[in-house]
Amino acid sequence: MNKKMSKAASSEQRWGWFMVAPTIIGLLVLNVWPFIQTIWASFCEHLGFGHYRFIGLDNYINMFQNADFWKATGNTLLFVVLTVPVGIFLSLLVAVMLNAKVKFKGGFRTIFFLPMVCAPAAVTMVWRWIFNADYGVLNQIFGTHVKWITDPNVALISCAVVAIWSAIGYDAVLLLSGLQNISKSYYEAASIDGAGKIKQFFSITLPMVSPTLFVTMIMRLMASLKVYDLIYMMVEETNPALTNVQSLIYLFYRESFVAGSRGSGSAIAVWTVLLIGIATVFQFWGQKKWVNYEV
Amino acid sequence: MKKIARLMAAALAAALLLSTAGCGSADGKTHLTFQIWDVFQRDGMQAVCDAYTAQHPDVVIEVQVTSWNEYWTKLEAAGESNTMPDIFWMHTDQILYYADFGILADLTDVYDEVDPDFFTKHYSDISIGNASGTDGRIYGIPKDKDNVVLVYNKEMFDAAGVAYPDETWTWDDLTDASAKVYAATGKYGYMAYNDEQLGYWNFVYQKGGYILDPETNIHAGYTQPATMEAIKYYVDLQKNDWCPNQAYFAETSPGTAFLAGQGSMYFEGSWNLLPNMLNYPDMVGKWDIAPLPACPDPDSGDGRATISNGLCYATAARGKNLEIVKDVLRFFGSEEGQRIQGESGAAIPAYLGLEDSWTTQFQKLDYLLDVQVCYDQFDHVVQYINNASRRKWKPTVADEMVRVYNGSNIEESLARMQAIADSYVTTD
Repeated sequence: MNKKMSKAASSEQRWGWFMVAPTIIGLLVLNVWPFIQTIWASFCEHLGFGHYRFIGLDNYINMFQNADFWKATGNTLLFVVLTVPVGIFLSLLVAVMLNAKVKFKGGFRTIFFLPMVCAPAAVTMVWRWIFNADYGVLNQIFGTHVKWITDPNVALISCAVVAIWSAIGYDAVLLLSGLQNISKSYYEAASIDGAGKIKQFFSITLPMVSPTLFVTMIMRLMASLKVYDLIYMMVEETNPALTNVQSLIYLFYRESFVAGSRGSGSAIAVWTVLLIGIATVFQFWGQKKWVNYEV
Repeated sequence: MKKIARLMAAALAAALLLSTAGCGSADGKTHLTFQIWDVFQRDGMQAVCDAYTAQHPDVVIEVQVTSWNEYWTKLEAAGESNTMPDIFWMHTDQILYYADFGILADLTDVYDEVDPDFFTKHYSDISIGNASGTDGRIYGIPKDKDNVVLVYNKEMFDAAGVAYPDETWTWDDLTDASAKVYAATGKYGYMAYNDEQLGYWNFVYQKGGYILDPETNIHAGYTQPATMEAIKYYVDLQKNDWCPNQAYFAETSPGTAFLAGQGSMYFEGSWNLLPNMLNYPDMVGKWDIAPLPACPDPDSGDGRATISNGLCYATAARGKNLEIVKDVLRFFGSEEGQRIQGESGAAIPAYLGLEDSWTTQFQKLDYLLDVQVCYDQFDHVVQYINNASRRKWKPTVADEMVRVYNGSNIEESLARMQAIADSYVTTD
């Protein structure tokens, strides 16, 4: 081995580590270590102020016997089913339209992106006014009396609507960047061959944008499984629809910070991570079937 | 390369030094932080602090406001890492958790040099109880006290030709008036919603029942006959046309509905009266307050009760400036400190005999609310319900209460609530 080379190489390596250190340290301190602590806490009873007592699997046993927990798991999965497919479809639709030759394209892009800029708390407050059964705009317009956020059968759908509305802009911008990478020559060639707009969409646009679509889907799925702030703001603890809307992370919050049982709260967090892990594994396995990485 | 690294390290070290220097007191004064959760009381608290710092120019106190929900998450984390604010408000819901864990400084003998009986002379048993740990030691200087009153809309009563509520009212008068107002104006009557302190607790104690048995304060009483009857009565109020249902209240609180002119009566905490006067100037003069209606046929007692809570000022047991903070707290609990608080309109002082200093701010308004009602009601107050295990069963019992409002069998639900509360007694 050349001594001089190895010195230069090791110097470069050191600098490499130095440069990524802020990110790595941040990740270790803010993500990895708390995650290990959470796993540990899930086997403990929280006595108060950071003191824990090991109790083995009790938290998990209690959790799996708790009807509210299963209800929350069901609510969360239902929320994913309600938001991800519809949300992604609408985002793609918006992205395709924003990519077309329309007037005020910049204006439309800004408008669609706006919900992303607003604070989720403010967004939810406005939607609560819109949804208000007695005085809300929505019921006034349609002359109905639907209890959008207090009817146990409707509340989760209302939450999903707000979630989709908030996320469309961001997802559409991501997809738009994917769409803009598609070379125009494909469409020209297709037109010459006599393919219509719809045929072009399914044969060119969809396969070419599929890598971006895949990333967007993974992100949206994770965000939906972790939904908390929206439901927390939308549905208060005395709302009759609470148990039909409560997501896993909402339940985690109430266990950990309202009841102060951080041990059982941690068990819910670990379960949620597990769910996200399984869903992501399935997605990566499924991507082979439909995601196209050849340009 | 090495030079650059050294330079950067030096720069980083310098930055660190500078930032730590910023924390110290550059002006030689003691800087204290004072954390509260009610933005409405900020000026009042500032006035009390200013009075202290005027006498002690070497102390600076900064009042910080955090919203209620964040307050407890933050305070607990701060307690864990020993970085608590120098002075902070304590709520009855939380004090036992903090005090029993040794987080709060024991303040029992803080007035020993002034007067060993200071607390019992100047504060009611309820105020002292709300500021004590399970061990009976005092962990907070009583700050204020409150109770629950009946708020009514005068215009709607006039329109329906019903006499205003007074101290002779019973539950029957409440429901009669509700029906009449609803029939005459189409506006809601008494708005009974799912709430403990501003709701069914009052009815339970009026009826002669209890949530926690008064003798030991350990066992819950959800299946005690008077308690069951009172809760059932209260929940069933929503079956009347003149009372909105829980779905309505989940979106529109009774206070909001009342101040928007949608309903004629609701229960309100005395602490919200002044904010309501100030925040809804259009409504000033259109409403007033009355004592809570009494139970007409109590199983025991005279049928009168109103829940009374109170906050206290606390400090950390391991605080850095404990001696100075104790001196500040001594002032907060003194006659002068309490009077300033009352006159600022922040809350009714806990200090006995200073209650009506709270009237000062009301007198400045166009319409003088009958605040004497609040003072008179202290003769019938019931201490805010709490014990060491309530914190743990509170959310589960609250969930069960939601089920009751959703139509589940009330006897079965109350039995479950009892079982939930009991399960924490045996493990303790």
